[in-house]
Amino acid sequence: MDYFSEGFARAVELLLSLDPETFSAVWATAAVTAMALAASLAIGLPLGFALGHFRFPGRRVARLFVDWMLSLPTVVIGLIVYALFTTRGPLGEWGLLFTVQGMGIGLTLLGLPIIIAMTATAVESTDVRLTETVLSLGADRMQLLFATLSEARFAMALAAASAFGRIVSEVGIAMMVGGNIKWHTRTITTAIALETGKGEFATGIALGIVLMLVALVVNLLVALLRRRAGA
Amino acid sequence: MSAPLYQLRGVEAAYAGEQSVLHVPGLDIARGEILGLAGHNGSGKSTLLKLLGFLMNARTGSLVFDGGLVDHAALRSGHLLRRKAVLLGQDTCLLKRSVAANVAYGLKLRGQPAPRQRIAQALALVGLDFAQYGARPWMRLSGGEARRVALAARLILDPLALLLDEPTTGLDRASTEHVKRAVLSARANHGATLVIVSHDMAWLSSCADRVLTLEEGRIVGGL
Repeated sequence: MDYFSEGFARAVELLLSLDPETFSAVWATAAVTAMALAASLAIGLPLGFALGHFRFPGRRVARLFVDWMLSLPTVVIGLIVYALFTTRGPLGEWGLLFTVQGMGIGLTLLGLPIIIAMTATAVESTDVRLTETVLSLGADRMQLLFATLSEARFAMALAAASAFGRIVSEVGIAMMVGGNIKWHTRTITTAIALETGKGEFATGIALGIVLMLVALVVNLLVALLRRRAGA
Repeated sequence: MSAPLYQLRGVEAAYAGEQSVLHVPGLDIARGEILGLAGHNGSGKSTLLKLLGFLMNARTGSLVFDGGLVDHAALRSGHLLRRKAVLLGQDTCLLKRSVAANVAYGLKLRGQPAPRQRIAQALALVGLDFAQYGARPWMRLSGGEARRVALAARLILDPLALLLDEPTTGLDRASTEHVKRAVLSARANHGATLVIVSHDMAWLSSCADRVLTLEEGRIVGGL
């Protein structure tokens, strides 16, 4: 048990002393997560809304594709992005491999299907009674679109929280595309994997505490949003 | 004598991919009239109401509303018609907002101000107190309260025609009386025309000038 308590004590010490190496991983995680989440939302919300609201040829195929993307293992996404960004790959000249931006793109591919699928479901589930209600009150087509978006706001926030949770805790893509470079692309999850492998449990536990706190906040937020979305 | 608000001639209506569910050879609804529609489930009452509320189109025949023929050109701006003929459907829901915001919503769609006093008056018509209910969120209302808020959200619009599908479902006796008073006041104060579907024949007869009975999509009788 000393093994754990010593590790925990050292972890608290690292966090309280604002250890530069530990916080470098925290900041890298914050940067890459913010980048990937912003891109996922900017692309995913309109696409999810269109998929849930409009009836168009190929809609079912598009939905199947998004669901398939949801189930792709993260190492496969990492592999695809690595293959694209490697110097011999089609996007190699962009120089994105082993950069925070490259990780952001890889993690966007992880968050995007979550945002699209959950937004589409949210919009679909509000549409049936809402459309008639809003139209009967005299809304034109644009007002109907805005009303539908507004009604799905809690569910869309839930989608954002879910994507955030998935992105911030991801290790496969971050490791493959980021390369786990100290002071640069080392995130909380890749640092935990590395430090644990080296036997540096204290740093691993310190970073794990940060990740668990983040997970706790996200889960509380998700529970709150789920209650409001379902009400 | 002024022309009827609605004139239907040879109207047939159907849902997509289905056979005709409504046949109306001729029906006039006068301005300021309160018309009741009765009949069994599936007899076409709600379909007729949706047709009058411009939420579905007639397959054949002609529909004249407020002096204008409702053709494809008119239906391209269907929201302008729906601002004059407002429907409270059976499946109407409230928006995920407060009671006051729900009542004010239709005015907002029209770009009109929604002063607190006007919202309070609309709520009072259905027996709800603004001070008690105005700020209450949608999910903290009972089914009956939600139904009355939805009615208040339509009364506040002072429409030419108010189309109510089972407005008293789930309401107790006192609330049912409030709805009756609200219906009568809509006509008395603004000259609104009302078309009301209800299974409660006693209540319907006490409100309506005449009651039509529908069976298998056809008007088979009237009182």
